[in-house]
Amino acid sequence: MVKADQARTEAVAGEPVLAMRNVSFGYRRQLLLYDISLAIKAGEMVGLLGPNGSGKTTLLRLLSGILQPQQGQILLQGRALEQWGRRGVARRIAVVPQEFHVPFAFTVEQMVNLGRTPFISSFFGSPGKDDQAMVQDAMHAAGISSLADRIFNELSGGERQRVMIAMALAQQPLVLLLDEPTSHLDIKYQIETLELVKRLNRERGVTVVAAMHDLNLAARYFPRLLLFQRGIVADAGPAEVLEPGLLSRVYGTSVQVGILRGAEHLSVLPSANNERSEAQEEHSQARVHVMAGGGSGELAMRALADARIPFIAGALNVGDSDHTLALRLASEVITEQPYAPIAPATLEQVRSSLARVAILVLCPAPIGPGNLALLQEAVHASRRGLLVVVLAAGEHTQIDDKEEKFDLAALDYTGGEGKKLLEQLLQAGAMVVGSVGEALETVKRGIDSKKRL
Amino acid sequence: MKLATRMAQPEQRRGERRRWLFAPLAIPLLCLLLLVVIVLAVSFGSTAIPLGTIVQILLNGTGLFHFARQWDPSAELIVWQVRMPTVVGSALVGAGLAVAGVIFQGMLRNPLADPFLIGTSSGAALGAVIAFILPFDTIYGSLFSLTPVLAFAGAITTVFFVYAVARTDGHTPVVTLLLAGVVVNAVVVALQTLILTISPHAQFGLQGLFNWLSGGIAVTSWPPILIVGVVIVSGIICSFSFSSVLDALTLGEEGAAHLGLHVERSKLMLIAIASVITASAVSISGLIGFVGLVTPHVIRLLLGPGHRLLLPTSALGGAIFLVLADLLGRVVIAPAVLPVGIFTALVGAPFFLFLLRNSKREYRW
Repeated sequence: MVKADQARTEAVAGEPVLAMRNVSFGYRRQLLLYDISLAIKAGEMVGLLGPNGSGKTTLLRLLSGILQPQQGQILLQGRALEQWGRRGVARRIAVVPQEFHVPFAFTVEQMVNLGRTPFISSFFGSPGKDDQAMVQDAMHAAGISSLADRIFNELSGGERQRVMIAMALAQQPLVLLLDEPTSHLDIKYQIETLELVKRLNRERGVTVVAAMHDLNLAARYFPRLLLFQRGIVADAGPAEVLEPGLLSRVYGTSVQVGILRGAEHLSVLPSANNERSEAQEEHSQARVHVMAGGGSGELAMRALADARIPFIAGALNVGDSDHTLALRLASEVITEQPYAPIAPATLEQVRSSLARVAILVLCPAPIGPGNLALLQEAVHASRRGLLVVVLAAGEHTQIDDKEEKFDLAALDYTGGEGKKLLEQLLQAGAMVVGSVGEALETVKRGIDSKKRL
Repeated sequence: MKLATRMAQPEQRRGERRRWLFAPLAIPLLCLLLLVVIVLAVSFGSTAIPLGTIVQILLNGTGLFHFARQWDPSAELIVWQVRMPTVVGSALVGAGLAVAGVIFQGMLRNPLADPFLIGTSSGAALGAVIAFILPFDTIYGSLFSLTPVLAFAGAITTVFFVYAVARTDGHTPVVTLLLAGVVVNAVVVALQTLILTISPHAQFGLQGLFNWLSGGIAVTSWPPILIVGVVIVSGIICSFSFSSVLDALTLGEEGAAHLGLHVERSKLMLIAIASVITASAVSISGLIGFVGLVTPHVIRLLLGPGHRLLLPTSALGGAIFLVLADLLGRVVIAPAVLPVGIFTALVGAPFFLFLLRNSKREYRW
């Protein structure tokens, strides 16, 4: 049985066993996950990271078919999840939840037997010899054969975790989804549990996707990490994802990342309180504000980051590619709900940021009714004497007055109001630059002159 | 480490075997016990009939045996037409309520759940009250008087209403279901009191109504027993097919869904089966408490929580329990008959507490 299972896994190796295509999901009105695309290959071991409420558990529930996405598609072996049917999904995806509360005194063996449910006819079906063998095999693999007759509820947390994993194994899954498998355990059982998962991944080729709250354990056990903040902020190996600035912004607290003496993997530690963290320093030093959106700020933000000029970005909608990039590059990101117009509270954040910085870089984002208010803020700030650099749209490097005005108008989707505001901005002394390089020069000069003052 | 595992192995095997040996024996043993209890129950009553005669009469009745008739013909009449319907009715009601109790406790994952939890009892009582104050009976009065018909209808309607109230966005959360059940119960009981208070007919039927509400197998003819029996027995057999579903549901709804279950569909079917069983039982017996609550707990203490075994053994256990309670009700202050409900609580509760305190394993929820 196990060998057949492996063959099943190998047959599809190379193509993703589980994939999400532009999946969005929200409870009631609040959008929780936005436009997620993701491919998980057979045999991979993927850790999901993100602060509480970032949507890790929701993502797992989407992958297991408990929740249906409002938009997009989830594919299991190249076929939409709904088409497999509940039973078909349960034969391929097993879920280990954070904790089971079982109201009856089931024995361990009875619990593991439940894992065979999707393979047994639900009407008067009873487990056959194959099922019995699978159950024994699963208990053996999880190292709980000696517990078979114990009552599940009377076991310790670590033992229960093993029983739940054995139960999932009895489903002969291609994919094992684990929801914070170590959150209730002390350190010995945390390691034991993850070693078990890793062994199953290596020996049986089970694809593993686990939501992890412990960054250190994630770094140690998962070769691929996905960092979540409503959308996927980073998708790479530990070295790239566990970057202090990125973690600080996503988790909202400053951290240090390093390699402890004698260890082979990265460690993440919260910064001591009395030390001024890198992030906080950046924050106080940031003298540039970038307004972007729809990918218009990409080049400018990368250029600023390369030049090691700290900047504040926003307000940006969750799911905007500029937002994802800003989370990686900017020292502070002012965030707005997906698709939502700029709310007054967010606008207040922008206003206070504009009061702090020396320069505003306005990227050629399309102007719609939703972000018109931002432009108004820019005009106010400019009239107060803030240096505003307007990055002109397109590839035009040759600027004469008329052409540039034409360009600005082309970005306006508000029926004239946006154009009017842009004109006011120019009247108030905003500089128009044609290229990112030029903008960077202007920013550098601007910072220097302000410093001299 | 290896040594320890090896040493633990034989003991575990033995435990497993014991469980397997005991389980297949449980059902035949309980069947035998039920037969004994039924014969015993038939032999007691206002006219003394020797036990041997009863056995002979009953065996004659099966058509497989023929004993020469050496008894008074009235004895045969008493056994078949007076005592057997009551005893068989008790057994059916006991089995039905116990199975409904297993279903509700398993599905709602709540130790306090009983068959009356989501409105069957109050709905049936309201139906009965209406039947008692109405000045007429059904045209089928000889087969089914108005009381069981309205009690059945009241129970089913109330459960349907509770389910509809609890359902939001295609889901029926267990907590909402429980709360809706409690609230609707309260409203229906209030309605029942209101009707009794303002109805001019109330005084006449009050004693009869009181007896009905306390529970007692009042049916003394075969046809209603047969009809109710067919419904209850087919309901119980249906419930057996849900034993793996009930097992999976003990993991919670999400856990069950991960095992490939259509949770909402299963819940609806289970509620329907349990409610139909309960409503039919209640329609011939009135409100008999405690059987549906305690029988499943007792069986679980003795045989473990697996529903494949729990459902049939609970059915047999509930039948035995209620036949015995009915017997006690007829014997204790004979010739007067006490309501069955009194004995289900008076005998059942101490027995349950005894088991609970003496069980080797801590009985956890």
